[in-house]
Amino acid sequence: MFLRIVADSFGRRPRHKLLTGAALALGMGVATAALSVSLDVGDRLAKEFRSLGANLLVTPQVDSLPLEIAGVDYRPVNAGAYLPETDLPKLKTIFWHNNILGFTPILELSVKAIPHFRDDERALPPNRNSWPDLLLIGAWADHSLHLEDGASFETGLEKTNPWWHILKGRWFKDHAEECVVGKNLARKKGTSLNGGILPGLPIGDNLVIDRGSSAPPLFLKTVGILDSGGPEDDAVIIPLRVAQQLANKPGQYRKLYVSALTKPEDAFAKRDPQSFTPTEYDRWFCTPYISSIAFQIQQQLAETDVRVIRRVAEGEGQILTRVQMLLWLVTGAALLAAALAVGASSAASVIERRTEIGLMKALGAGSGTVGFLLAAEQLLLAFVGGGAGYAIGIFLARLLGEKIFGAAPEPSLIVFFVVIALAAGVTILGSALPLHRASRYEPAPILRGE
Amino acid sequence: MVDGRANNRAMFWRITRRLLGANRGRLFVMLLALGAGAAVTAALLNLQVDAKQRLTIEFRSFGANFVVAPHGASELGTTATLPWDENVMKTIRVQAYEETPIVPFLYLVASAEKSGSKMLHLRGKQIQTVVIGTDLVNLHLVTGTKFPEVFGWERSDYENLKAECFLGERIAKQLGVIKGDQVALLYKNRAEQLGVLGIVSAGGPEDNQIFMELGTAQRLSRMNGRVSLIQVSYPGTPREIQAFWSKLASQLPNAEIRPVRQFAEGEAKIYNRISGLLTATVGIVLVLTGLCVMAAMTNVAMERKMDVGLMKAIGGSMRRVLRLFLAEAALLGLAGGVIGAAAGIFLSMGLGKAVFGVAARPRLIVYPVAVALTTIVAILSAYPLRRLASIRPASVFRGEA
Repeated sequence: MFLRIVADSFGRRPRHKLLTGAALALGMGVATAALSVSLDVGDRLAKEFRSLGANLLVTPQVDSLPLEIAGVDYRPVNAGAYLPETDLPKLKTIFWHNNILGFTPILELSVKAIPHFRDDERALPPNRNSWPDLLLIGAWADHSLHLEDGASFETGLEKTNPWWHILKGRWFKDHAEECVVGKNLARKKGTSLNGGILPGLPIGDNLVIDRGSSAPPLFLKTVGILDSGGPEDDAVIIPLRVAQQLANKPGQYRKLYVSALTKPEDAFAKRDPQSFTPTEYDRWFCTPYISSIAFQIQQQLAETDVRVIRRVAEGEGQILTRVQMLLWLVTGAALLAAALAVGASSAASVIERRTEIGLMKALGAGSGTVGFLLAAEQLLLAFVGGGAGYAIGIFLARLLGEKIFGAAPEPSLIVFFVVIALAAGVTILGSALPLHRASRYEPAPILRGE
Repeated sequence: MVDGRANNRAMFWRITRRLLGANRGRLFVMLLALGAGAAVTAALLNLQVDAKQRLTIEFRSFGANFVVAPHGASELGTTATLPWDENVMKTIRVQAYEETPIVPFLYLVASAEKSGSKMLHLRGKQIQTVVIGTDLVNLHLVTGTKFPEVFGWERSDYENLKAECFLGERIAKQLGVIKGDQVALLYKNRAEQLGVLGIVSAGGPEDNQIFMELGTAQRLSRMNGRVSLIQVSYPGTPREIQAFWSKLASQLPNAEIRPVRQFAEGEAKIYNRISGLLTATVGIVLVLTGLCVMAAMTNVAMERKMDVGLMKAIGGSMRRVLRLFLAEAALLGLAGGVIGAAAGIFLSMGLGKAVFGVAARPRLIVYPVAVALTTIVAILSAYPLRRLASIRPASVFRGEA
């Protein structure tokens, strides 16, 4: 009988039920879309922030002070300490190895070099001491690193310095005798350098590097022009292997830039790890805070000093926190509006049924039975509407995610339950007040139409 | 005739009033739905405009996005300098805002040692390092790293800084210097004795450098009125930043204006993503909220069969009846909008305060837009009543339909 009444109510007034259901579905669609986007946005934006490049810098622990002005280290090659390149695969063995998106070892050196259009030593200026000084930066461009577990990891400048663009040509191959030249050096008319004029170094020409009187000069073919917007525009980028050979430091590098995906630091992460209790320490270690990733790298690479590049890390953390909060508030506002509109819709549908309620009561139904009947109807509607709303919301969130981040958020089961629970809660709450009042109705006046 | 029309009008409004007041429960429900929609519309529109602007300011926590340097300043070993006077400063200031940080830098390579010890010749270890003369008070605005000791200093505290300096964490460790010690700096054959105001940890090259006031560095190097470069942290959308750059470049032909690519490019990308995300989310929420409110309202409107039937029975033309209901809906929408939008604007101010620590500025344009949107939604949701035109009053009263 109970089911028949409910079924009859749906059958008899399909349009009303459809409209209430539509309001519910749309409201819950808003809720689902906003919730899905908010849940997902942290990870997506964190990845976007990696376009700012490296956020960790690894240097030897015992090192002389770099004489760094505007990003260029003016220390001679023989000063300071070096780190072994063979340790680098260990970076991908730390607890948060999946969060290490890229790293680039750097070895800078200053040499006497000159551009030359021929592939041999003919027509080279003989007095090598008059050749201009040139800064060479040895690095990986697009390097395939073999990891201990047999996999390989693509990394290099393209990952850690995404704002460096190749204007013309391509990056050098790591195993070739090639180089990429800063855009200022590549200029046709040449560049004034230390009072002398360095002729331009277009693609295809060679850079001839002096290796002292005992060895023949080294020829590097220019394959690309770099636009970095920084001091690198006046330098030449060469494969790390070649730099090691020139500096006579095989298998070594001077500093390492690491780009890691991190969680914004909160008050907990800012505390000194020394003061943690064991449980807190575990929590800190197992959260991808930049400080815990730095700590884990330091454990893996012996005798290094791992520093957080605060400028990148702090700004990123601050903005991420703000944006996430902003979206949660938008979500909250959306939920509120959806809840109110849906609640109003349910309230309206109960108010309009006063006659029916009166009739049921006249026929001997108690207030409890009437309330239960109407609540069951509303709940049924809530589940159907909520389910449809979830589908709408997921579709919209997909659309949004793909449009903005190029990747759709994963539909999450939690959102489904939250949305269904919200739909049920809101409809029941919206109906509660009119139902409460309905339970006090005297059937006679209602049926008389008063 | 004129009288009749006036009567008609009076009657029209009387019926409308009665329609509104007939069922207080229904009135409340409709106002709630419309008000909620208006509140969210106003809050999100206001917050969206404000949040985008706040974001451009938030991005300045990355520090400077422009470097003004003499041509060829990045050449090896040379220290080309720019003249630094009121003129250059003013030229940049005119293009920027009053509070835009413009900070000069003068780079020197000097020897540093811990001083104040009697056994200087035994313990003092001389270390070659990069010494930077700058504006200590505003430095943190362009380096993106806080300098805790001067954070929040006023210009009036400025005098005290002339004989003080900051040390990077690593150089301080190598020199064995702590806060409050004295440091001697030697450049060519001139020396300067400075107190250590604090030690900074930035993770970048700053950790190996010593910072002091520009005047002190100029005195040490005898480079009065010269700087190596100027850093500017200009807030704005990617387009505004681009415009600033081209204006500055034409104003200062003797210098090279370099955007700090690492941050400029990343920022532009992230800003576009975030603002796109915000616009899209707000758009979707608004459309769905509007539809949701409309569905709820239509549900209520469809219950009015009896009213329509009665009006038709006593001779109301369908056009007139519809006009009555539309007027009712418009009034409801206006009332809901006026109350809801006001609530929404206050809500957005609170939200702005919660997110950015600064209350969102209420934008007046948002208010009429939100009210208008709510009214339109209300009218649209009453429109399906048109379908009741085919109703035969008799069957309504017999309870058949």
